[in-house]
Amino acid sequence: MNWLGVGVLGGVAGLDATSFAQVMLSRPLVAGILTGLLFGHPREGAMIGAVLEIFDLGILPVGATRYPDAGTATVAAVAAYSTVPLHALDPGVLLLAVLFGLAWESVTGTSTVLLRRVNERLVLGTPRWRGNPGRTLERQHLLSMVLDFLRAAALAVTGAAVGGVLLRLAAGRWVLGAEIATAGLTVAAAAMAGALLGVFGGWRERRRALGIGVLGGSLLLLLLR
Amino acid sequence: MIGPFLRLRVFLRSFAIQGSWNYRTLLGTGFAFALLPVLRVVYRERTALHAAVDRHASLFNSHPYLAGIALGAVARLEADGAPPELIERFKAALRGSLGQLGDRLVWAGWRPACVLLALALLLAGLPWWGVLAVFLLVYNAGHIALRWWALRTGFESGRQVAERVRAAGLDALRERIATAGALGTGVLLPLLVVRGAGMEPVTLWGSLLAASAAALGVLFGARIRTPVIGGLTALIALGFLLKVTQ
Repeated sequence: MNWLGVGVLGGVAGLDATSFAQVMLSRPLVAGILTGLLFGHPREGAMIGAVLEIFDLGILPVGATRYPDAGTATVAAVAAYSTVPLHALDPGVLLLAVLFGLAWESVTGTSTVLLRRVNERLVLGTPRWRGNPGRTLERQHLLSMVLDFLRAAALAVTGAAVGGVLLRLAAGRWVLGAEIATAGLTVAAAAMAGALLGVFGGWRERRRALGIGVLGGSLLLLLLR
Repeated sequence: MIGPFLRLRVFLRSFAIQGSWNYRTLLGTGFAFALLPVLRVVYRERTALHAAVDRHASLFNSHPYLAGIALGAVARLEADGAPPELIERFKAALRGSLGQLGDRLVWAGWRPACVLLALALLLAGLPWWGVLAVFLLVYNAGHIALRWWALRTGFESGRQVAERVRAAGLDALRERIATAGALGTGVLLPLLVVRGAGMEPVTLWGSLLAASAAALGVLFGARIRTPVIGGLTALIALGFLLKVTQ
């Protein structure tokens, strides 16, 4: 396992989510592809990332929402999936990787809340009247970002290790077959994708656009056959 | 007083405006951090600079992409020598509306619409690198343009920034993005239902179940998340537990 790579990717994803840039390297789809690439499985990384993305896209960082750090959790989930030997990979492992990613999001989300409490102490507890004007504030601000990076990096590595053990234990033990695993994942993703309409105003406001989109998607499917 | 180089420095620092986000000052410290290059030019005297930094590091909230509106306008007011009380009242008046406007425009509009485009392209068969490139380029073209527009509008308008923002037609833009997002949801659904979300092709009965699930998702919205995760957990438990009992 490339622990350093996982740590750096996890740290960047965690930092991008709130603290710096927000150029969407923290989106599960992006983090999944990049982590998959690190392990030579970009297609699998994209698929795990895509399903986690569909689950998380409807959660908006507004008001008092407890926002999951989904990018870091995706790095952990894809890295964990990549630790399973190729010959032992079965569809159940992919399902479990997605579920592990969803569970790890609650850990990364909680750590974000804790870091914000630390920031509170850091920012309010240090007198800024000493030293060069503005320098203390700059140091506090940059230290907060470094802590955020380290938090996310540590959680990505820990998640990859814990998830890797779980997934290796589960590998080869899925007995319901590939059809059921794929159907289960598709049904779950489709339900969550349908729920995304709520983000844009819901059925009453957007039914016409949704209908046109379904028609367009169906035509695209026919063209791609 | 605020030249292009200074504007660029504030713009670059604005990417880190949420760097020390906390529950007491929200992004207040980040606001002071981004404004610091301007404050250092305006306040040459040490005590005055300390006081200005402290004032601006207090409670402030905004959407990060639109914070440039407040940053630019406050920089202009500081450069024009406006009294601190007026600047504080101005910031307080801006902070709620900038948050709400940005949340609706970006978090509930531009971002999900771009992600849906990327997901649809992935399921349509575009290679992973194409999906990655299209998503990052399209999203960040809008993202960086919005940040730059916000800061420029703030710098140019000063106290009149609220009128400029109202006249910019962001609500109409949000409406168009939301319609595009709903359209994108519609395009994604048949692709997902027919092509499947796993690494193997989905069967006909799987597609039929997925179509029904999508309809339930449309009907119940975000409330469906917990039951869906519960169902997925039950399926996984069943798939692995049956092996033990065999």
